[in-house]
This record gives sequence, structure tokens and C-alpha cells, in this order.
Amino acid sequence: MRVLSSVPIFSDLDGKELIEVEKIVHRRKYKKGEPIFRMGDPGLGMYIIVEGAVEIIEELEDEDCKHLVDLEKGAFFGDLALLDEAPRSASAIAKVDCDIIGFFRPDLLDLLYRKPHLGIKILWSLAKVIGERLRKTNEQLSNLQREMKVCDE
Amino acid sequence: MNNAPVSPAGQINKTVWRIFFILLGMAFLFLIYPYIKTVVLVLLIAWLISMLLNPLVDYLESIGLKRSLAILIVVIIILGLVVLMVAALIPAVISAVESLSAKLNADMIKGLAVQLEQLFEKNLNNAALARDLIAKLQQLGTDMLMKIGFFLKNAGSYVAFVGIVPFVTFFMIKDKRLFKRMLISQVPNRYFELFLNVLHKVGDQVTRYIQGQAIDALIVGLLSVLGLFIINLVFDHPVPFFFFIGMLAGVANMIPYLGPVVGVVPAILLAILSSPANLGTVLIWIVVVFVLVQVIDNNLISPLVVSKSVNMHPITVVIAVVIGGNIGGVIGMLFAVPAWGIIKVTMKEVGWGLRNYKLR
Repeated sequence: MRVLSSVPIFSDLDGKELIEVEKIVHRRKYKKGEPIFRMGDPGLGMYIIVEGAVEIIEELEDEDCKHLVDLEKGAFFGDLALLDEAPRSASAIAKVDCDIIGFFRPDLLDLLYRKPHLGIKILWSLAKVIGERLRKTNEQLSNLQREMKVCDE
Repeated sequence: MNNAPVSPAGQINKTVWRIFFILLGMAFLFLIYPYIKTVVLVLLIAWLISMLLNPLVDYLESIGLKRSLAILIVVIIILGLVVLMVAALIPAVISAVESLSAKLNADMIKGLAVQLEQLFEKNLNNAALARDLIAKLQQLGTDMLMKIGFFLKNAGSYVAFVGIVPFVTFFMIKDKRLFKRMLISQVPNRYFELFLNVLHKVGDQVTRYIQGQAIDALIVGLLSVLGLFIINLVFDHPVPFFFFIGMLAGVANMIPYLGPVVGVVPAILLAILSSPANLGTVLIWIVVVFVLVQVIDNNLISPLVVSKSVNMHPITVVIAVVIGGNIGGVIGMLFAVPAWGIIKVTMKEVGWGLRNYKLR
């Protein structure tokens, strides 16, 4: 439960609500080198690292890979897939033996129907996380545009 | 799940062993099937009922009731309604069967026998053949009716079986997510997301299909009851047990193309047996009622409530119903189309999953 409450999407939930979430998440163990999902797979949900580390890579056309980021214990990834089934934009591979929690869209939809109050709380937090990420992306884009302008001048 | 990457030879070995164990499991199930038949039937019925009741339970849960209490309320209400209906229906059906039995022994068969004898004597010069045929038909009819009467009179012995179904249904709804998680936890990591996604999509479509069929059956049943009720009002009650006949037509309607025929035949037979003065007109109106119900169902109700994902070709329906009938009689015929629907949706979604997921 401690791991769940450390994830921003669940950080506003009280103990009772976290127990409800705990009932619908899936705990999985992955061996080193094992893919958690592959780029292009239909998105299904997000993962939270309980133990271990995960490497996020972009699979290139010539069977090569581009390393994007390493995620450690407590990090989460794939959260956009909670909103729609769009293909995964990168692959997630277990860097070492991992203990991972999966939280998936069908279960979130089911929760929204059965416990709307709790479902809305999670969706609200998800919207905040995505909003924050968008704000950061916008900032980075503006900075980049400014730098490009300076370079042009 | 612990799935270490293995060598190709190891992978083949593993696959061979898996196939061996699956075949062994299937052979074992085949061997013990006669002993677990009842259990399978109870689980199947409970599963279907749980699919129908689950949205109601989810709704009660969404307004703040505890899940166990919500299930208890829904199951008790449904069970109460079923008990009331059965209690009202069984004595009526027993008396109908008995009166039909008597009628078949008396006027109807005798009249038919005289007509057939005359026909055979006139055309084939063999009245004995007609007498033999009539005797056999009479015996067959009486035997069938006696069997129905016996079944209904001994309905008490089925109570134990029926009593288990609500109990199993309760836990199927209550622990639905637990069972699903237990099943998913057994799936190797390689197929985990594919399995979860396909399971959800199949579950979603099958639930919508079964709920749609149930709503469709209920509306068709009520419309048929209404039509027969009006005929009874206008023509001085030529169709006894119109409520039972109408609801039967609703249930039979779940078998596409063949169901409507099953619905109209008992109504016509009962009308013939009650021999009203204007039999011809009554029969025409019975057919008109059922045709009208079909037109309303096909153009208004069915497109709104029944999922399009399991549309079937008429030939497929006939094959499914024949196979279902061979396996499980009338019940098998009734379950054949939904079962084929479930298989079709599953195959479609598994195909989608295999095309879209990179299985490493």
C-alpha cells in the first residue's frame, strides 16, 4: 500500500480507498531482460516499480534500440494508456529482476462505474499529472524556440 | 510470473510439455465429465445469471451499498419473483397437461382416427394400417404428456439443484474480480497484456450480448402476451395459458430464425384443442400477432438492445442449434446460439490481439 500511495495518481486517496485500489491492481514479477510491454502494442495501463529497475527504449526500424530513460524503484510509467488504447510509444524492459504493480484501463473504468467518487479522484490526479507534464513540455519547447531564435540571429 | 528468457530448444521443449499437459487435462476432463456434468451445468447457469445481475449490483454499489448487501438484495428479489412465477405456473401447467391428455384420449384422436381410416380405405384400401398408425400416435402423445406431467409433479426434487444456483451466483458476483485476478496471475508475462485486454473485450461484448438477449426476450415475451391477451378478449378466450405461451415465445426467440416458430406452434395447438367457434379467424390472428411481434422485434427492439458483434448467418445458426440439440436437447438448443456467439467474439478478439501485440 505504501508503494501505491507514493504514486501521484493515488497520493490523494485515504487508506480505505487505497485498499480498494489494491484489490484491482496486478502484481507481477519480471526477470532481467524481459519486456514488460513493447513499442507499438495497444496501450492498456500503467506500471509502478516496487523493486528493481526498468529501461525505457525506442525500437528503431533496423532492429536497433535507442535508450530513453532508466526508471528506479517507486517510479511509474505507461500512465497515458489509462486514457486510451493508442499504441505504446516506447518499450519497457526489466533492467534487473523486477517486482511490478500494473494498473489497467478496464479496471479503472470498472472502478469509475462501481465507485464513481474514488474513480473521479484517480482521474483528477491523472489529469493533474498529465497537465503538469504538458506544462513542462511547453516550457521546454518555448526554451528551445528561444534558443533557436538566438542561434538564427 | 517468473519467466526467464530461455534458449530456442528449451522453448520448444517447454511448448511440447505444455501441449502434452493440456491434452492430458482435456482427456481427464472428458473422462470425468459424466460425474461433473451437474456441477458444470450449475456453474454455467450461475455464470449467465451473474452476467445479467452484475450491472444491477454495480449500480447499487455505486450509490453506496456494500457489494455483499447489494448482491443479497438483488438475488433475493429475483429469487422471490422466480418462486412466485413458478408457484403460479406449475399447478396451471399440470392441469393443462392433464386436460390435454384427456382430450387427446377422447374426442380429438377419435375424430382424427375416423377421418384417417376413411382416407386410407378410400385411397389405399388398407384401414388396418390407419388404425395401427393412430394407435401408435396416440400412445406417443400420451407418453409425452405423461412425461411432462411427471417432470412437473416431481419438480420438488429439482429444488436442491435450483437452490445451489443462487448460492454459486452470489459468490460469482461477489468474488468476480478475485477469480479474474487468480486466472490472470497464471498467465506468463509474454501473454499477460494480450490476455488481459482480450479477456476484458470478450467479457464486455459477451455481457452486452447476454444482457441484450435477455432484454429482447423479455420484451418479445411481453408483446406476445399482450397480443394473445387481446385475442382472448376479442374471441372469448381461445388461447389458454396465454401468459406462459407468450413468455415461452420470448425465451424461444433467443434462437434466431427457429425461435419464432417454437413460439407460435403451442399457441396454435392450444387454440385448435380449445376448438372455438371461429377457429379459422383465431388462427389467422395468432399468426398475425406473432408476425407483428417479429416485425417490431427485428426493426425496433433487436437493433436497439442486441449487440451487433455476434451477427450470425442463418446457416451457422441452424448448424449451431442442431449441434446444441444433439448435445443437450432443448436446453442445448437454447444455449447453442449464445455459446457460438461467445466462441465467435473470443476468436475475433484473440485474432485482434495476435495481430496487434508483438509476442516476443
